Amino acid sequence: MRNLVAVLSLTLICMVGCDGRLDLGEAKAPAGPSNQSNNANNTNTNNTNIEINTGVIGVAFSGARRLSRDEYDNTLRDLLEDGTRPGALLLPEDSVDPFDNDYRTQYASMTLIEAVEALADSASERLLADTARRDRIVGCSPRGPDDAVCMRRFIETFGRRAMRRALRPVEVERFLALQSFAVEDNNFYSAVDLVVRAMLQQPEFLYRVERGIAVEGRPGVFRLNHWEMASRLSYLLWGTKPDDWVLDLASEAKLGTSEEIRAAATRMLEDPRAVARVERFHAMWLGYHQIPHPTELATALRAESDALVRRVIFEEKRSWLDLFRVEETFVGDYLVEHYGLSAPSAPAPRWVAYGDSGRRGILSHGSFLSVAAKFDDTSPTQRGLLIRNRLMCEEIEPPPPTVDVDQQPHHETSPCKADAYAGYMQSGCGSCHGQMDPIGFGLENYDRAGRYRAHDNGYPECAIEGSGELIGIGGFKGPAELGQVLIDNDVVDRCLVTQVFRFAMGQRETKDDEALIDALHKKFRDKGYLFDELLLDFVTMESFSYRMEE
Amino acid sequence: MQRLRNFKMSRRSVLKGIAGAALGLPMLDVMLNGHGEAFADTHHNSSGLPQRFLVCFGGQSLGCDGDRVHNMYVPERVGADYDLKTALVPLGLYNNIKDEVTVVSGLRIATANGGAIPSGGRSDDFHISSLSPLFSGVRSGAGSTVQGITSDQIVADQIADGTTFRSLNYRAQASWYLTVSAPYGRDLMSYRQDGNRVVAQPGTVSPRLAYNSLFSNFSSPDPSELDRRNFLLAGRKSVIDLVRQSYEELIPQLGAADRHRLNQHLHEIRDLERRIQAIPPAQIGACAQTEDPGEDPAIGGNQTVVSGNDFDTSAGYSSEDDRARIFCDLIYMAFACDMTRVGTLMFTMAQSHMSAYPFLGESFDIHEVGHSRLGTKGVSDVIAWHMKHFAYLLAKMRDTNEGSGNMLDNSAVVFLHEGGHGLDPATGNQYSSHSTENMACLIAGRAGGLAPGRHVVAEGKHPANVLISAMNAVGVQTDTLGEVSGAIPGLFGA
Repeated sequence: MRNLVAVLSLTLICMVGCDGRLDLGEAKAPAGPSNQSNNANNTNTNNTNIEINTGVIGVAFSGARRLSRDEYDNTLRDLLEDGTRPGALLLPEDSVDPFDNDYRTQYASMTLIEAVEALADSASERLLADTARRDRIVGCSPRGPDDAVCMRRFIETFGRRAMRRALRPVEVERFLALQSFAVEDNNFYSAVDLVVRAMLQQPEFLYRVERGIAVEGRPGVFRLNHWEMASRLSYLLWGTKPDDWVLDLASEAKLGTSEEIRAAATRMLEDPRAVARVERFHAMWLGYHQIPHPTELATALRAESDALVRRVIFEEKRSWLDLFRVEETFVGDYLVEHYGLSAPSAPAPRWVAYGDSGRRGILSHGSFLSVAAKFDDTSPTQRGLLIRNRLMCEEIEPPPPTVDVDQQPHHETSPCKADAYAGYMQSGCGSCHGQMDPIGFGLENYDRAGRYRAHDNGYPECAIEGSGELIGIGGFKGPAELGQVLIDNDVVDRCLVTQVFRFAMGQRETKDDEALIDALHKKFRDKGYLFDELLLDFVTMESFSYRMEE
Repeated sequence: MQRLRNFKMSRRSVLKGIAGAALGLPMLDVMLNGHGEAFADTHHNSSGLPQRFLVCFGGQSLGCDGDRVHNMYVPERVGADYDLKTALVPLGLYNNIKDEVTVVSGLRIATANGGAIPSGGRSDDFHISSLSPLFSGVRSGAGSTVQGITSDQIVADQIADGTTFRSLNYRAQASWYLTVSAPYGRDLMSYRQDGNRVVAQPGTVSPRLAYNSLFSNFSSPDPSELDRRNFLLAGRKSVIDLVRQSYEELIPQLGAADRHRLNQHLHEIRDLERRIQAIPPAQIGACAQTEDPGEDPAIGGNQTVVSGNDFDTSAGYSSEDDRARIFCDLIYMAFACDMTRVGTLMFTMAQSHMSAYPFLGESFDIHEVGHSRLGTKGVSDVIAWHMKHFAYLLAKMRDTNEGSGNMLDNSAVVFLHEGGHGLDPATGNQYSSHSTENMACLIAGRAGGLAPGRHVVAEGKHPANVLISAMNAVGVQTDTLGEVSGAIPGLFGA
């Protein structure tokens, strides 16, 4: 099979002309030569009903992405009903910036390879120890250790789930050869053990490998096949492997057209895993994926933010911008007291109105406000940087190497934070700090657990004024106004699309990707900022069905 | 399958042959390598014995902020029979293991000091920036990771031939322990070259995994278990063989970048395969299967605060005391069995947020001790925890006969610390833990004529000069590590 690509490019250049499906509207693609693929037999790549547009534009790079720890554990859960999440303990740490899936930071190492083998071995051991689960996964009752029919059936079904595509006959035979161990050991499951372990170390289990069909006249550009689309969708929308029904669609060549992809993605968004995925996206994006507070508080804060994300995006399908504007929040007595809100007592979380507290939406949450702390207090600089980086997609130069960022700013005579930070503005640091600190000072009334305060911690003489400014954009006071300023200036919606792109593609955008992000942003805006529509539009854009080889 | 079957049978007979041969041998003064052959290549000293190279690391400076005592580490006395201060007290254990250890003081890593970063130097911002010059001799960069290939990997390229493991990289501190942020390289000390990039080799943090990796194919002394063991081993080999084939088939179908990525993976799989195929070391002399460490200790919870009244004394700790000892046992045995000749052992991460409470009884994480009221005495107590394990490892090596001497005679072992104490150029503070002035480190062993048991003042030298000396000691002929040049002649005997 080594010449697979070469064979494909000779036999499967199966293009129909541009049929107006081009989602980047303005561009008129040159019509390519056309014919229809009939290669339904190649289960490995399944190119039936694949249209290729040689003029496709906005194609992003995609390389082999190793499953993140989170994706690995999700995949194990859905493949083997194994919820132990062992990858988090043994796999090398993912680099987080702010998402954990940038494949360009991944390297294979001895530690990785040994961990992958140990994870496979222990997952198989747990499976075999649980006979009910084992029987569900194997799917047939062997008549004896040499029951090749049952073994073949298991290899084909399990292999399709693990490698996320149908196995080629030669691959099935290779796994089937392991059955001799069952015969020698007089135990069918001795071979099941080996098959599971071998599957969990397959390159196409551990990595999301895309190849696709070479697009004629476009070196490096490939059209994804149905299996590859199934994985793209499920890892983006669920953070895990495709379910059987998604793989069935791929097998039936029904993930080729934008209508088919939209239908599948729409159904996938109804799954609780999509909700969890979207909650996790927001948590990583805004930095509250891990909250630096004791468990009870951290759990309550995370639940508060998740509830808002869920309500705006899934339950009420409101404008995503309402994430910054919703006038109530999901809290029980514990958080009502924590925030000092006024509400009738009820221990369980429910929606409580913010009233005139100056709070609105997610920027008022203790989750978000806990993120950018330093020196045991809020850091106006770090908060400003967070907002520039994450909500405005702007980069700020790191401090020069001569600065010790571990030194707390201080003022000769005043104990007040505002005076200490003012020193930055008078030095050469001002050009960068001016972009950050004034933003942070607009949130200073909210401590690093999101509680309101009128003065610096421990210094009643240092009253907090609480006014902030986005230099060149406008002033604000508190999280409600900050959210509104970001919305009014068309900053945060465009930045969100960029962040979704990074999360989806596992890498930062290049200059060439800006057109795609712009086109997606336009749709997002035109449809009233519906987040689920943004995801659907993303996956049905023509370019999402293509890849640029690195 | 026929092929596999045949292979398995032939392998079984080989094992039996080896076992038989080993039984017939007396305790040897000639060691065998991992393939059962007498050493004959050039990477050994005149005694024909393998040379070992190990770099250890503790993620803390030597002194505390504001304390005018730079350290309780560097002896008063220069030369032999040096005195032991608080940080190094454990070197008095094991019948004065300090006789095998030289303290090197007077070291420093230059800083940008408001200008450009000098060669072999670091930026003025302390954390992370000392790691690149410390481990690789290359000045710190804009990013957070080490900029050059580290000494262990340079050594491995030259002396690892024929060993099962090219190098072993272990880390005792099991987690970063901070709820927010990530270590961003503070967890890494070994880097190798990959094309035009330098890529990290993360250490194994699971003692269980490390143990299995070393000993899974040791032959069983109980003949009744041997068949079962061989059956399981054959299954494992078939699995890895199948996995390797999949990579080999897939890779040629991929684009250049993916080919490169998966080739890295394939390379490591082949290495694993080679380790599985390797005939287990003959368990003669000191080489024997280490006691099974059991399941890994539980990973401790994260810190929410790094010190003070809210400090959670049960968080930030995963029984590192046990983990460190187990990793010392494993490295020792891997050396004794000549499964590897090169290792790194990170006891604690740089800017370590592991809790100091379990051995200090104070509510601080290790890094915060350096900024605390506990002073340089507190910092030294933390260093002493590292030294307890270091002394244990060295004593095991010293007490293992090899040829006419012992294992330490054929080893160079260096212990590095993240910083020194003194001027912080970023703030002008004269007594800061964020400093690479007044650094010191340890070098143990007698490989290549190292003459330990002394306090050597190497005024103005760079820690990389000590690494270069250690590299030279195990037979790596180089005058440089990264941007730093020269060994320290005073570390060697006349």
